[in-house]
Amino acid sequence: MKKDTTDTSAIKKRSLFKTLLLCLPMMLLTFMMLSQGSIPTAGERLFALAVTFLFFNLLFFLMVRTGKTDRFRSILFITLAVVFVFSFISNLIAVRGSMALSQAHMIEGETPFCHLVIPMTIIPAAFTKTIIFPGKILGKYSIGGMFVIWIGVSLALGRGLCSWFCFFGGLEDGFSRILKKPIIKNISKKWTYLPYAVLLGIVLMSALTLSPTYCKWLCPFKTVTEYVEITSVQVLIQTIIFVSLFIGLVIVLPILTKRRTQCGLFCPLGALQSVTNKTNVFEVRIDQDKCIQCNKCIKVCPTFSIDEESLGRGSVKASCTKCGKCIDACPQKALFYHVKGTSLNSTFDRYRLLFLYPAFLVLAIITGGFMQDAIVKTIKLITTGTIM
Amino acid sequence: MEAFILGLSNGATCITYCAPVLVPYLLGEGKGILRNSVLTAQFLSGRLVGYLSFAVFAWGINRSIMQGVNKPDLIIGPAYIVFSLLLIFYGFFRTRTPCTTKCTTGLRHRLLTIWPGSLPIIAGLVTGLSFCPPFLLAFTGAMEKTTILQSMFFFFAFFLGTSIFFIPLPFSGLFRGFAALRIIGRMAAGLIGVYYLYSGIIMLIGGYTI
Amino acid sequence: MKTLKGILGYIWAFLAIFIVLATFMGNDYFSEQLASATGVTVSPWFSGGEIVKTVDHGTYKTYMHRPVFDALIGEKREGFVQLNWEPYEGLPPVIQEQIDYNGDSRKDFLITLNTHTGDATLTAQSPTVLSVERSYRLKNGWAVRVILKK
Repeated sequence: MKKDTTDTSAIKKRSLFKTLLLCLPMMLLTFMMLSQGSIPTAGERLFALAVTFLFFNLLFFLMVRTGKTDRFRSILFITLAVVFVFSFISNLIAVRGSMALSQAHMIEGETPFCHLVIPMTIIPAAFTKTIIFPGKILGKYSIGGMFVIWIGVSLALGRGLCSWFCFFGGLEDGFSRILKKPIIKNISKKWTYLPYAVLLGIVLMSALTLSPTYCKWLCPFKTVTEYVEITSVQVLIQTIIFVSLFIGLVIVLPILTKRRTQCGLFCPLGALQSVTNKTNVFEVRIDQDKCIQCNKCIKVCPTFSIDEESLGRGSVKASCTKCGKCIDACPQKALFYHVKGTSLNSTFDRYRLLFLYPAFLVLAIITGGFMQDAIVKTIKLITTGTIM
Repeated sequence: MEAFILGLSNGATCITYCAPVLVPYLLGEGKGILRNSVLTAQFLSGRLVGYLSFAVFAWGINRSIMQGVNKPDLIIGPAYIVFSLLLIFYGFFRTRTPCTTKCTTGLRHRLLTIWPGSLPIIAGLVTGLSFCPPFLLAFTGAMEKTTILQSMFFFFAFFLGTSIFFIPLPFSGLFRGFAALRIIGRMAAGLIGVYYLYSGIIMLIGGYTI
Repeated sequence: MKTLKGILGYIWAFLAIFIVLATFMGNDYFSEQLASATGVTVSPWFSGGEIVKTVDHGTYKTYMHRPVFDALIGEKREGFVQLNWEPYEGLPPVIQEQIDYNGDSRKDFLITLNTHTGDATLTAQSPTVLSVERSYRLKNGWAVRVILKK
């Protein structure tokens, strides 16, 4: 593709009026999605709606005004992880009395379906027309509902799902920002292939055993959602494994490396999403005329999606989650969001805006419900001493 | 099914470890897709003969040694543990090929001098007889089978799983960019090794408690 | 060609926001359509399989599911059959029932369930019946899974 290299000047700061104009559609959309057509009358619910609405639109305003993406995306992304965990666990305790999942709950199809299960279900579904998960096909937290969301978000954002939807990723994102500098700086490139190996392994083992292998044996996020009650040695071993993986991959390594190690070095859904990146219209590109090979983008990328080879090609790897961290970090503004098929001009902010609208909307929608619920429960906790 | 999936998970590793034997000849000048397909089929036939030979050998061990043992799990279990640890080691920590391809180079050269047209079959036979960790695990699995047909079927399923990765071989140029697939295949094999490690430990514990 | 690619790119990028809106606003509708188009159900290894026989005992009912041996291809050597008893309020202290799970008019096992403690005992009357996996206290009754072999 012929590069347009005529204008290499920095993006001019947008006027306040133009910024507000650009934020208006997002304000309307977020209000529509958060309120779902009706404004609540109960005091705490109205307060929760107002706070959530203002919080989201302030962040979007700052994103558009300052030209920085990751700085504000990460605030909302980490908030999503925290409110999701709080809301999910509190709901479990209210309904079941604990986070533990019994076999009886599984028989009754009461296990909420999460997107990480999706890769394991495809081959068995193709062969047996059944979903190897003890959930419900339709309804709240259902298999059908999550599949539709996965398909839609993958079509719109590709692997951007990992930085703009996944309600687990914010945990690592948060831990990775604790230290100012990484303690472990170099990780062998071969480990970036591990997610694909995990994907291959769990897909095959799930097809062999007709049970979701990753959920049973490996998923570290059971530590903060729900887990099978320990009634046998096998389940005890599984519990030790997933708790260890959570401590290692979600807490310790992100702190030490300042990277999202679970996402970049382990997550099988992330590996699958890398395939969807090939067909997605949005991508991150590098203007090689501006690039001074400082390698700052390589150092900050949370999912190891840039290396010297891809930098030389002017693009990032398929594992890019489009978080915007490299774009924000580049001192030369050489990295930029791009729409495939259009001219390669790093100064066009329209590409970024075209990406930000669907991406931020996804993040806002998925966060909105959990955040409002968390605020209401917090108010209840303060005023009544209980969240039930 | 277990054997097929063991073969499938290791097939990517198998082809990248053992392909150097076949690729230079397949990708030679003047050979079309049809000729390459014939050569690949000969190669796979050699592999199948190698695998089935070991199936018979595994059954022989079952009949001669395992039948007389009171608790066979106490033999199979440790075998699983050792071979799975090997598989994990080669999957994550070692880059050099573990199979006997290099060791048989001299033998292959001598055979080719006597019978040049035998290369694909001999190459297949040699790679089929190689003692790489996934093969060793498959051999241990086959040792548990009580009839010769079960043992041969087990290895046939393993062969099918590995062979899927050889299907694109007749189409030249597909070996470009195989490095990533090799790493992924090795790591996937290592992860499957963890499953067999667990199975071996459970067998050992179960064998001691019966 | 370059212009066409550019226009298509912009259109696709612009459509992304509508895809997002449709995904979330139409989630119920699309998930129903997806479920009915694919015809998928929850795996019988979790749900217990379809109910094939109901026995009415007056105050409660026995629901017998089909035997589950499902594998990815073909069937596994070992499986189970699930029995449910509902509603909980109508259950006697001890349930004792003869079960013919494969419809060959021969009783295969006798199951005894203490509905207060959940203790279940099995008397196998066929070589294909192995043991009780365990009993499960459901919201509206009890379920027991009996392990079978082919």
